[in-house]
Amino acid sequence: MLDLVQNTVDGIAAGAAYALLAIGFTLIFGVMRRLNIAFGPSIMVGVFLGAWVHAQWSAGLVGAAVATFIGALIASAYIERLSFAAIRGDAALASMASSFALWMQLEQGVALAFPGRTTAFPGLPALPDLETAGLFLRGDDIMILAVAGIVLIALHRLIYHSHFGLEMRALADNPEAARVAQVNTKRVAFLTFCLAATVGAVAGVLIAAADGQISPKFGLWATLKGLIAMMIGGLGSLRGALLGGLVLGVVEAQAQWYLGAAAREIIVYGLLFVCLILLPAGLAGVRDTGAARKL
Amino acid sequence: MDPFLISVLSNIGLFSFLALSAWLLLIGGEISFGQQAYFAFGAYGGGIATAVWGWPFPLALLWGAGLGAGVGALVAWPAARLSGVHYAIATLAFAELTRASLNIFRYQRDVDGYLTGPDGANGFGDIRWVYETGIAPGTYLALIAGLLFAVITAIALASRFNLLAQLRMVGEDPILAGMQGLHVLRWKVGAAAAAGAIAGLGGGLYAHLATYVEPAQFSVMTGVHAVAYGLIGGLGTALGPILGVLIDIGLLESLRALAAYRMIVFGGLVALILILRPRGILDESLVAKVRAWARR
Repeated sequence: MLDLVQNTVDGIAAGAAYALLAIGFTLIFGVMRRLNIAFGPSIMVGVFLGAWVHAQWSAGLVGAAVATFIGALIASAYIERLSFAAIRGDAALASMASSFALWMQLEQGVALAFPGRTTAFPGLPALPDLETAGLFLRGDDIMILAVAGIVLIALHRLIYHSHFGLEMRALADNPEAARVAQVNTKRVAFLTFCLAATVGAVAGVLIAAADGQISPKFGLWATLKGLIAMMIGGLGSLRGALLGGLVLGVVEAQAQWYLGAAAREIIVYGLLFVCLILLPAGLAGVRDTGAARKL
Repeated sequence: MDPFLISVLSNIGLFSFLALSAWLLLIGGEISFGQQAYFAFGAYGGGIATAVWGWPFPLALLWGAGLGAGVGALVAWPAARLSGVHYAIATLAFAELTRASLNIFRYQRDVDGYLTGPDGANGFGDIRWVYETGIAPGTYLALIAGLLFAVITAIALASRFNLLAQLRMVGEDPILAGMQGLHVLRWKVGAAAAAGAIAGLGGGLYAHLATYVEPAQFSVMTGVHAVAYGLIGGLGTALGPILGVLIDIGLLESLRALAAYRMIVFGGLVALILILRPRGILDESLVAKVRAWARR
């Protein structure tokens, strides 16, 4: 029983980072109605830039984090320009294939610049571990939960209580109506991409710093985790992304503990498949997400 | 022929099966990131059939293709009711589920004193039928090319009988197609079965050429490549995905100077092509123009 609770606690911390990745995906899908599968790799560019800055000038976590944001923003802007802004809005397939092509570029670019299998990333500031009634909460997990919580609150304010958030929701709700209402849709779309990159970069820094190292596989990993969490929670819903991330984290932690790593993969993908078939609207139960429209 | 050329051409042929199967689904309006799963079913199924059960090779290929078709239809049957994004992710989930399951799939039997068969993450070796029978690489290449030609001919025949046009209708506008009396779900499941069969056939051929397969070979990356080939080459004709494979493997593999920058060059090329031609190089309007010109 104690194991079960302990795994849940560990899973929630990991899930908080997944949730941020899923929110990044959801923001982009919401305004674009197209999947940006190069989202994970754009964050990977950021964390590698962070690791490089740290290695060059021993910048520590703050310097590495700033570099991560810059790297993720530049990579995201590159993807937005080439794969989304330059391709007609009705060619959703082309955008997805194009973002995949840029993913290849980013991944090989990173692999060429950092030939090693893994690169060191500065760790999180050491917080004391908490222990109550036999339950452990690691210092790193406290840090991840705290940062993710702050980001979520800030995002909520931005999306639901600011003019930009209103424009963004208008664009997500109905692009034609938003255009008629004088929303500069191109600008809002670009800024949403940047916002998603920022949220993703926070997740990237948290994950990389908790691991202490990064590898060129990070891009694929981040894209898969973000996609899975988003789809389990409900495509197009921000609440769903949060819920999906936490569920994914907890399920992974339990499966890893009770059944091992090989079974964990099977369970996660099996859960995703079953969720998609039986609960296409996701855990958040979104009815009209626009996902029903043609991809 | 030069052995290097033979191996490059064989690779192009084998990837063409995968690209064609993803292309067929694109025509029907669905993206599948999971065609590598049916390729894996064909590879493992066909490999087990010859190496463990001692079946004749043609029967093993047929079994692999049938396995791909059956599983493809089973996955599409629930998934095709959902939206495009859901379909794409469901196929991805199923393919990763397949890969993860192959990682723990053990089925080893004693064949001539050796333990033969899939051994989880260690892979599945000794699929030696081609070498035991003494088939030269060139002959095997001819077999791959012949079967690929047969598949393309079958697709051409299907378009002769307007089957492909109906599938395109289902893909372009399912509601309109339904109003015209087409059973949309049946078409989508049928397309998925055909695509699964093509991928399974390719997988069987692949396993017997490579003699060794492992779960890691059937990763998401393989499947996403297959989709990209069709989108680059063009959705207008079955030659489109093959052109995509030629551009990637043919052009870039042969330009060894670019090897280190292969993905950067290929990625940039694809991004540019897609900006200029969102439905690929050989898209529907180009194909229609060529047809009209040929008819004159």
